[in-house]
Amino acid sequence: MQLKYGFISVDDHVQEPPDLWTDRLSRSRWGARLPHLERASDGAERWVVDGKVLLGGAAGKAGAFMPDRNCEPTRWDEVPAAAYLPAERLKVMDAAGVDYSVLYPTVAGLAGEAFGRIEDSELELACVQAYNDWLIEYWAAASERFIPQCIVPLWPVEEAVKEIRRAVALGHRGVVFPSLPMHLRNVPHISGPEYDPLWAVCEELDVPVCLHGGASPELQYPPTSGLNPRLAQALDAVTRPVSNVFVLSLYSFSRVLLRHARLRVVLAESALSWGMLYLEWADHQFEHDGLAREGYDLKPSEMFYRNCFFTSWFDQVAPFLSYVGAEHILWSSKLPLATSTWPRTRETLESCFRGVAPEAREKVLWRNAAGLYRL
Amino acid sequence: MDLRYGLISADSHAAFAPGTYTTRMSSSKWGDLIPRVVEMKEDGIVYDRWSIYGKVSDGDVCNCPALMGEPFPTFPKRWEEVPATAHDPHERLKALDQDGIDAEVLFPNPPGGTFFEYRDRDFELDVVRAYNDALSDWAHASDRYLPLAIIPYLSEPETIAREIERAASAGHRGINCLGEMPAPLPHLTDPYWYPVWDVCQALDLPVHIHGSAGVRAGASVRKWSGYTPRQAHSAMTATSAVTPAQVVPHLIFSGMTQRFPRLKIVFAEAGIGGLNYVLAACDHEWESRRLWTEGLTTRPSETVRRQVYVNFWFEAEGIKLRHEIGIDNIMWESDFPHVASYYPRSWQEVNRVLEGVPAEDRRKLLYENAIRLYRIDATLPDKAISGDALPCS
Repeated sequence: MQLKYGFISVDDHVQEPPDLWTDRLSRSRWGARLPHLERASDGAERWVVDGKVLLGGAAGKAGAFMPDRNCEPTRWDEVPAAAYLPAERLKVMDAAGVDYSVLYPTVAGLAGEAFGRIEDSELELACVQAYNDWLIEYWAAASERFIPQCIVPLWPVEEAVKEIRRAVALGHRGVVFPSLPMHLRNVPHISGPEYDPLWAVCEELDVPVCLHGGASPELQYPPTSGLNPRLAQALDAVTRPVSNVFVLSLYSFSRVLLRHARLRVVLAESALSWGMLYLEWADHQFEHDGLAREGYDLKPSEMFYRNCFFTSWFDQVAPFLSYVGAEHILWSSKLPLATSTWPRTRETLESCFRGVAPEAREKVLWRNAAGLYRL
Repeated sequence: MDLRYGLISADSHAAFAPGTYTTRMSSSKWGDLIPRVVEMKEDGIVYDRWSIYGKVSDGDVCNCPALMGEPFPTFPKRWEEVPATAHDPHERLKALDQDGIDAEVLFPNPPGGTFFEYRDRDFELDVVRAYNDALSDWAHASDRYLPLAIIPYLSEPETIAREIERAASAGHRGINCLGEMPAPLPHLTDPYWYPVWDVCQALDLPVHIHGSAGVRAGASVRKWSGYTPRQAHSAMTATSAVTPAQVVPHLIFSGMTQRFPRLKIVFAEAGIGGLNYVLAACDHEWESRRLWTEGLTTRPSETVRRQVYVNFWFEAEGIKLRHEIGIDNIMWESDFPHVASYYPRSWQEVNRVLEGVPAEDRRKLLYENAIRLYRIDATLPDKAISGDALPCS
């Protein structure tokens, strides 16, 4: 590992190109059910998979690279090259001061959730595998500065385990998992033992499970209808990270974290400033409800400290160091989403780390991530 | 009011006796639909429940575990078990003195503060009026009670506004409102509700959103059958720590707070952490998206500091962030007589949570912010009082 800037960004997104699935999968078998761009009569293009429109009808999601970050591309030719070309992305990373970039999808869902909504598990698996192959061949092969993470089919769990093994063997370093799969289609509740093989294989292969905000939009308070779409997008960007609180609460109180001591969980796009208040509240509630008598070896905060990481890009770090701890915070640039700090990534970072000692700063900016992804 | 202790609870709950509604609503008009207490029998066990609109409610007849003794928490099965302190404003003053509390802001207790569920607009309006009348009696009993009016959601906004005016003239100090309006009514931030916010702003009545307050984001998490009831309660309640973070951004980005710049919004029993996140996240998006070009001229953090308040009670770690959150925007709450209350040892807990906090900050958190927000006519004694720093003996 070589660090020029001292920053491993643990949450960035690749933009999948229009031919990714149609080139790799059988068009004669799947036809128009494959993820593809569809052109409307007014010239606007939108992603469609299995009859469902993705990305809210946009042609891509790359607000930070657009001339106006409140406007997502409406046609593929408006998608900026740095969103989908590795060589162009590397230039942006140099300008932003990013050494390594951990990759999440876009069309496949910011949290890897899009294909989980497909009822046909064979089509789901085919779409997932094509993405996982492509990310290795197209991004990871382009530069070792890209850290690929696989997506997974939701069910059956044996297929998810098999795909994680296959993907890690190909070079994937983490697992992007839509945190509440039972919200996507009719599969068992994530709290139950049915998913233990999934957590176990991640422990065995030593790859983090990455739960990104936005996997279940119903966890966010919806905006009023008729609100200016630019303001609605800003609202979505604010209510999405904090919706992770429901995920963290569920994974703690249902004992998923308790049963899997070596599982490492990245709360991607969580931000930082609600976290310690939640942890203090969860412990308080745990004690108040007498849960120590109900077979928990650890309090919620202790489960967090053992297994989890918060991920931010705009918070002040110093206020949270004493309670959350530098060991449990990761940093990101969130390229190329509209909420990204780009093009002021370096300046924002300096202001966020004001008053943070060099040792803690190194942990948050790269040491924790280097350990997590074994760089 | 003479301030004797230097501690005001910005969130307590007033219980109502069984006759509260039957004596205030027309029996010829509503008969057995009037909220009343009924005796239930099941497997030889007799217990009391509130019946509203002819439907027996699930909850206990009174929520007052702080007054029920050991084992904690115990909830009364029969009305006779309910201590007068819960529902009699005169008796309750003794408990306030025992606990060292000057005044309390009053939220509902069973049978609750919303009656829209029965989809009967006239019924809802009559129950709401009876509730507001009954609670204003507390303000007449003592100026140490600061009642909050409830609102008839199903009525026209103008009718709601008139009820708020009526309640305010009877002594109410604010309104209690859901964080997410019941379907199919328009969104909390929709202009439909502007007449309501208009009267609240004009009369300087803060709008209160309590606990999870029906914000459906959390409730939408698919239920799991593997929890015990207490585990399910913990998993759900812990997340209400961030309810303000789901609601406040809507108030800002919808333009509502800009349109009503003197309207105050208070989050009760929802922690202080949500606000910390709102400040950081909304400013980040406002700056990077240049949202002033979309008509939002005020920086979100300025709006929040001007208009939004949150409460704390146990958050010893959280209160260390008081200056990031806004030292003028935080108030203490007891939740008396609910399960979170530390009665009769509130001061012990206050001193634990505020250990090392300078006197100037303590005064703001414990009573000055509440005095300012609720325009309490308070006389401070010449000598130092507990709230100023001295631990209460």
